[in-house]
Amino acid sequence: MTTSPALVDNPTVEINAVSKWFGQKVAVSDVTCSFGPGLTGLLGPNGAGKTTLLRMLTGLIRPSQGEVLVKGQEPRTQVDSYKELGFVPEESALYNMLTGQEYVTYGARLSGVSDPERAAKAALEEVGLTADADRPVGGFSKGMRQRTKVAVALVHNPEILILDEPLNGTDPVQRAHLISLFQALTERGNTVIVSSHVLQEVERMTDRVIAIVDGKLAAAGDIAAIRRAMSDIPYRVVIECDKTRTLGAALLDHEGVFSVTVDERSLHIETSDLAGLGSIIAGLAVTHDVRLSRFAPEDESLESVFRYLVGGR
Amino acid sequence: MSAFLAILRVTVRQTLRLKRAIGLGLLSLSAAFTYLLTALGSTASSNTAEFNQEQAFDIFLGMTVGTFMNIIVPVITLIIATSVLGDERRDNTMSFLVLRPISRFTIGTAKVAAGFLESFALTAVGALALGILAAMRMDTYEYVVPMLVGTAIATASYSAIFVPLGYLLKRATLIGLTYVFIWENGIGAAVPAVAGLSPWRIGVSAMAGMAPDQFLRELPEFAIGSITPGAGGAAAKALVLLLLSATAVGSILRRRDLAN
Repeated sequence: MTTSPALVDNPTVEINAVSKWFGQKVAVSDVTCSFGPGLTGLLGPNGAGKTTLLRMLTGLIRPSQGEVLVKGQEPRTQVDSYKELGFVPEESALYNMLTGQEYVTYGARLSGVSDPERAAKAALEEVGLTADADRPVGGFSKGMRQRTKVAVALVHNPEILILDEPLNGTDPVQRAHLISLFQALTERGNTVIVSSHVLQEVERMTDRVIAIVDGKLAAAGDIAAIRRAMSDIPYRVVIECDKTRTLGAALLDHEGVFSVTVDERSLHIETSDLAGLGSIIAGLAVTHDVRLSRFAPEDESLESVFRYLVGGR
Repeated sequence: MSAFLAILRVTVRQTLRLKRAIGLGLLSLSAAFTYLLTALGSTASSNTAEFNQEQAFDIFLGMTVGTFMNIIVPVITLIIATSVLGDERRDNTMSFLVLRPISRFTIGTAKVAAGFLESFALTAVGALALGILAAMRMDTYEYVVPMLVGTAIATASYSAIFVPLGYLLKRATLIGLTYVFIWENGIGAAVPAVAGLSPWRIGVSAMAGMAPDQFLRELPEFAIGSITPGAGGAAAKALVLLLLSATAVGSILRRRDLAN
């Protein structure tokens, strides 16, 4: 059993004390984590080092220090490991003169698939591009281009799928379709690693997160568990009611409430004692004749976890 | 279809776009046009009887060595061969290519082969046109095959240099032009050791080895320098260069980081 939340049992992808620097700039600093079957979100603001980490994972760039193993092999030197690896890069990476079908077939052929045309058709169908398969990818919208890249990453049926901001440029329907596709892959036992700086996206896809900030591993594990571990940071709670000022004034007298922000329909509370606040709020509402419509923690969203991680540095 | 052929085919489609093919095709034919105009001009300005085969040969030699082999062939090959990997980098498709279970040497070989075949498809058109026009004026077709073989060897040698250059340098065309005009044609004309490694001179030496003796006799001093004329030696040099180039590309792809 592993003890660190950044590590998993039976990993398919391992990152061991990896650092990468470009001249004087440190892009990734001493990161150790691992990924196994299931979906893991790689989270961090733009420039945090996510793309550099993913490019090291795929072998596109070498770590300055440490090692990266995909199914026990170093992908950069063992090209056979690419049979088990599919990668969707953030940048375009498309041959604009090829049709969708030709492009995905090309990927299948280079990956050694026995019937490349049929595999390409199936992959395009999986991402919902069958109707546009015979159009040149140069004329595709950004969302279609993203889906084409996903199709080519899936065409050889890899066990490990690494996706760098795969939902960029997709509309809500496409996004929902891709998210359900990634989740379906994890149900088949695949290892899926998705990077994103859009917090809600990751939150919709998975509970397991590796958070990177300034090139360092800032947090790992279950989103709620990460939040609970930050005991020195006040909890944020939102309360919606009809008499916000009355209830806000009453709450300020309660020990453990650090601040109250009032607007027309809601109160935003910072407290060190979430359980205590929960136990007194009903009584306060009755005493002051306030009608409560919502009482919810704001902190267990990825947004707040992320804000803390970034703000703490 | 093997990975090699698949890469070759897609590379040709990626780099040999219609406008580029037409433009470079016209450039390739320009030596033949110039030859035609010069020959017609010489005929008009002199007594027709005086325009003999020797004058036709002199113009052919000047066009072949002074224009086609040392300007047109390198420029066409430079543009095509540097884009074979340069376009992959520009289009951010390198990651697509290298994240496949195929050896980097296969990628390198396919890329160098594509650079050579595409370039030769264009330079061969000009070589053939110039050779045939000259043959019609000189009443002998003995120069057509040497012309094609020499062009193939020069194109292959240039491809071997320019394919890796296109990946290593963002301004590969500029650096390539500097190499052709300053290093090869400037310094190479004066320093025999430099001339010995000049691709167009290797091509001309193959032509000189296969063409009638008159070709070698009349060849200007700067043309092949200290190189021994002969198609076999020239072809061997070109093959070694191609092999070295494919190995170098494979090695570069294995060693260098793909930042994007």
